[in-house]
Amino acid sequence: MIGQRVLRVEDKRFLRGEGRYVADIALPFMREAYVLRSPQPHAKIVSFDASAALALEGVDAVYTAADLPASLTPIPCRIPTHGDMTPFLQYPLARDVVRFVGEPIAVIVASSRALAEDAAELVAIEFEPLPVVADAAAALDPATPKMYPPGNIATQWGFDLGKVDDAFAQADIVVEKSFSIQRHSAMPLETRGLIASYDKARSYLEVWGPTKVPHTNRAMLARMLGMRDGDIRFAEPDVGGSFGARGEFYPEDIFIPYFAMKLGKPIRWIEDRQEHFASINHSRECTFDVKASANKDGRITAFDVVLVADLGAYIRTHGDVVPSHAAASFPGPYAIRNYRVKATAALSNKTPSGTLRAPGMFEANFAREQIIDMMAEKLGMDRAEIRRRNLIKPDEMPWYVGTQSVNRPTLFDSGDFPGLFEESVSHFGWSAPLAKGEGPVRRGRGIVALVEPSGFGPFESARIEIDPAGFATIFTGASNQGQGHETMLPQVAAEVLGIAHDRFRVRHGDTAMIPYGGGSYASRTAVMGANAVHRAALAVKAKALAAAAQMLQAKEEELTLDGGRVIVTANPSRFVTLAHIARVLTPGNAELVPAPKDFIKDDHDGLTGEVFLRAIPSGTAVFSVHMADVALDIGTGELKIERYCVSGDVGRAINPMIVEGQLVGGVAQGIGGALLEELAYDEDGNLQTGSFADYLLPSSHEVPRIEALVVEKAKSLSNDLGVKGCGEIGISGVAAVLANAIAHALGTGARPTTLPLTAERLLDLVEPRP
Amino acid sequence: MTTRDVSFTLNGRPATLTVEPRQTLADAVRQHLGLTGTHLGCEHGVCGACTVLLDGDAIRGCLMLAVQAESLSITTIEGASPPEGLGVIQDAMQRHHALQCGFCSPGMVLALEALFAHTPCPGEDEIREAISGNLCRCTGYQPIVAAALSVAEKNRANLGAAAPSA
Amino acid sequence: MKPAPFDYEAPTTIADALKLLGGHEDARPIAGGQSLVPMLAFRLARPSLLVDLNRIPSLAGIEEKGGVLRIGAMTRQAAVLASDTVKHHAPLLIQALENVGHPPTRARGTIGGSCAHADPAAELPSAMVALDATMVIAASGGERRVPADDFFIGAFETVLQTGEILVALELPKQTGGSAFLEVSARKGDFGIVTVAARIAVKDGRCTDAALVLGGITERSVRCAQAEHILKEQGATPKAIDVALAALPLDTVTMDSRLASAAYRRRLIPELCRRAIEAATTSKVAL
Repeated sequence: MIGQRVLRVEDKRFLRGEGRYVADIALPFMREAYVLRSPQPHAKIVSFDASAALALEGVDAVYTAADLPASLTPIPCRIPTHGDMTPFLQYPLARDVVRFVGEPIAVIVASSRALAEDAAELVAIEFEPLPVVADAAAALDPATPKMYPPGNIATQWGFDLGKVDDAFAQADIVVEKSFSIQRHSAMPLETRGLIASYDKARSYLEVWGPTKVPHTNRAMLARMLGMRDGDIRFAEPDVGGSFGARGEFYPEDIFIPYFAMKLGKPIRWIEDRQEHFASINHSRECTFDVKASANKDGRITAFDVVLVADLGAYIRTHGDVVPSHAAASFPGPYAIRNYRVKATAALSNKTPSGTLRAPGMFEANFAREQIIDMMAEKLGMDRAEIRRRNLIKPDEMPWYVGTQSVNRPTLFDSGDFPGLFEESVSHFGWSAPLAKGEGPVRRGRGIVALVEPSGFGPFESARIEIDPAGFATIFTGASNQGQGHETMLPQVAAEVLGIAHDRFRVRHGDTAMIPYGGGSYASRTAVMGANAVHRAALAVKAKALAAAAQMLQAKEEELTLDGGRVIVTANPSRFVTLAHIARVLTPGNAELVPAPKDFIKDDHDGLTGEVFLRAIPSGTAVFSVHMADVALDIGTGELKIERYCVSGDVGRAINPMIVEGQLVGGVAQGIGGALLEELAYDEDGNLQTGSFADYLLPSSHEVPRIEALVVEKAKSLSNDLGVKGCGEIGISGVAAVLANAIAHALGTGARPTTLPLTAERLLDLVEPRP
Repeated sequence: MTTRDVSFTLNGRPATLTVEPRQTLADAVRQHLGLTGTHLGCEHGVCGACTVLLDGDAIRGCLMLAVQAESLSITTIEGASPPEGLGVIQDAMQRHHALQCGFCSPGMVLALEALFAHTPCPGEDEIREAISGNLCRCTGYQPIVAAALSVAEKNRANLGAAAPSA
Repeated sequence: MKPAPFDYEAPTTIADALKLLGGHEDARPIAGGQSLVPMLAFRLARPSLLVDLNRIPSLAGIEEKGGVLRIGAMTRQAAVLASDTVKHHAPLLIQALENVGHPPTRARGTIGGSCAHADPAAELPSAMVALDATMVIAASGGERRVPADDFFIGAFETVLQTGEILVALELPKQTGGSAFLEVSARKGDFGIVTVAARIAVKDGRCTDAALVLGGITERSVRCAQAEHILKEQGATPKAIDVALAALPLDTVTMDSRLASAAYRRRLIPELCRRAIEAATTSKVAL
């Protein structure tokens, strides 16, 4: 089953409109919530009057920070950071100061969402505006008023590896350039949402909502509310995409459940798209000042990087992880030992920042891969050749970059980077001539190489149960936002147990069914989730063989598990089915009734297997090459992507169809980030992007055909299955390769260094025509 | 709160609802009838997740008020699906891995249903135009286009038709 | 994003619609709803009463009579796009509509609704101006007819008074070949700059020319000087150069994050050149 293009079992319900997303769940006596958010980027709340709203028939309550427990702490950071982030944490509801447009101030609970919105208009809030920190540049300016007592910089750190200054002094060429990546976000098609219901008498709080990490969020909710883990059930419904943005413990994750407890009725909060723009975690906004050197032979000798990231108004659960990854991984797949980076995480009066698919990497690749092209141009060297000469070689693996991010060493466990590179270049026909440009059209070709981490830990769980009818249930600690886990995980178990994959059911994301779970992020489910399922299946198999040996009165080594049956290898007519074994091993099974005089003893625990796997901290490295041909209209600046190819060495593809889907879909999302998407603010801190008419997602007309070259060359050495995660390599190189292709099309040395690459920006790079 | 009664044909059967005039058709079928296959992705007419068929045409369920449906015929994804299993377009979408999270899928299915109703053998350009008002964040559209092309191919074989019209 | 409350009526005659619109403070007509309903959802529009024009049969339809094409204001954009009559009579309208929205918005969106909404970046107002359309307006006192170029006043502003309804658009038979070009962030989006061009060339002489820019300021801009040059000097390469030098670049006021005024000014001559060339070589030259 592993390696087959098995069609997804979950598709049927989605295609029939039978998917059940959080907004599709309703509970008896449920009320609807609307979150009243700050229209001010930075202001004191002088007064708050909800009396008119409360007078509206059907309005149950208007809750503010004063209604939360007095002991409530700000939302803690849950990922290791560079330094203490305590001064910059956010309270779930603003207390006396708001620091970004969209910060939650109050929650209105009413009989319908429309009514709650009517009531919101009746709430009178008086603000006293405070000076605004508009962006990172302002944050770095000592003259800017401080948003927090320690200032407007959350943290600064760096690495200084090898001898960077010596390398520059001795190099044949040195190039320098600055790059700017715009603020944008994951923008899943389903907004956020939660339903919370509390059984006060039994002290049981149930919360439904999409998140990458149900168990982690349950634990945070319990800790912040002083509740017991076991008093809270967090359950994940179907989820309309995540792409990195569903990983936080958001303010709503605490106050919606808490107010449901307080109100004594279930509360449903479904974020609308307008809220989403201001309140989902933003991402990517940063600048790189890069200096790099190389020798005449094309060997890159040093990178020197100044990275400044704008993290917005608060540090939230993900801390400074995004610039941290960018700083730690900037050298990419190249063997570079002289590397210096100085990183700054600045604060501004904007929505707090978090992760987006390939966090930090999309950004770093955009800067690094352009600098490499600049060096190739200066050396007069082919752009594939310079990369070829610098890629880390298989015999240099494992490769330790020398940096760490969130306490994990940047380590590439395995990989044949040159092997995949050559296969990609030859597949694409890198050296084939480009079609000539006609009229105002100029054509260009780009190439980038990158490496993504995948399969970060810390752990994952899996339990497999075979029922007495021979059906199997997989309980996974991984969560699912649409990737295909309900198909992929059974493929892994089916490989071991020989049961058809469609006799499996996968249960996920429900803390009531699954005691411990890691979740889904960092391209980890195929690595951690699937390996856990694999070992759980092996445990089931071992148990089945042991039981069958007794039942068939044979030795285990004389038995084979095949097609859901344990067979005496030498005499296949003698067998027992897994269903039969499951029946025998069912606790309380009559065949095992103890004799009356027996003492109480252990019973069987079913035909089940359960494992908890601990990951290696650095995950497993995935190498990828992106190549693209573009046509640039030098009269209008319009860009057409004429060809796009992405390759990835995933070690082993459990379901190649799903892997290709991840690669192609990732590229499409990257095209949005490269060309269209931006969460823009004016200089006064007001969010300018409030609808899909100005946050531009790519449509079927903007995304071209994308070739995905899935290669299984370098098995991961750090997991049984040899798999590597494929979720992020698709998006990671898109801005970089398009920029390189555009610069090639221009052919003048001009280079697009600011994202998004709008037609206007591209036309600005074209010399005005005479 | 003013309410109105509205009677229309929904998925081939008569339906009568009491709604506020401000309630959109998409909201009404979800809230009053539990037909939750019509998704709300933006509520301002851009994403296409709320697509329904109005007399066979794909329209935005969030840009039509429920009261406006009076005496019209509306089909949601629940009505466009066979009693069991998958229809031709749905089946092709599964075979081509034309969905991941599934949130846009009902809208995509209906946008393609509307296309195929009047263009049995569309070419790639027609398919891309037909789904251009339906955003998908997962697939990059390519497998959706491939799925639709496979349906067109099948129709062409069945109809003995010549090359696609685009 | 739920609209503020409002009342709703769906009259079946123009007279009833006019009565309802005239009799209520903040009453507002709704046509296809593709612009109005989003404004309701954002609570940017807060009518007390919505008067639905979708139930008035006489407002929809396409009819050619005596060389004049009359398109009912409530005719769906999709119906216009699919109309052979329109294709033969006013191909520029089809060319413009190909840039308008997406199939589901065109299935519901109307030709008159888009004109009455008068978004400065919308394609249809420019097409109407370039086609010398006449806008037919009904008021309680009777009908009045306004040339398209006088109908559009500013951003989201037309000569329509409270209580009036746009009932039809009348188009003379298009003279000349035409082209509608635009640069937009994505296909189907409103234009950053749009150019509607209609050029009639007969025996080497340019007998008629219309060149209309959209997306650059509060309303569509007719390039009168450039049109005059083309008509005087013919659509020769040299004359086109002269005409392009006479484009009203100083009228550009639109300056936004998605496209600066400078970019729009740079696009105008480029798009105009392409549009004129396309219109003069147009196979559908009439």
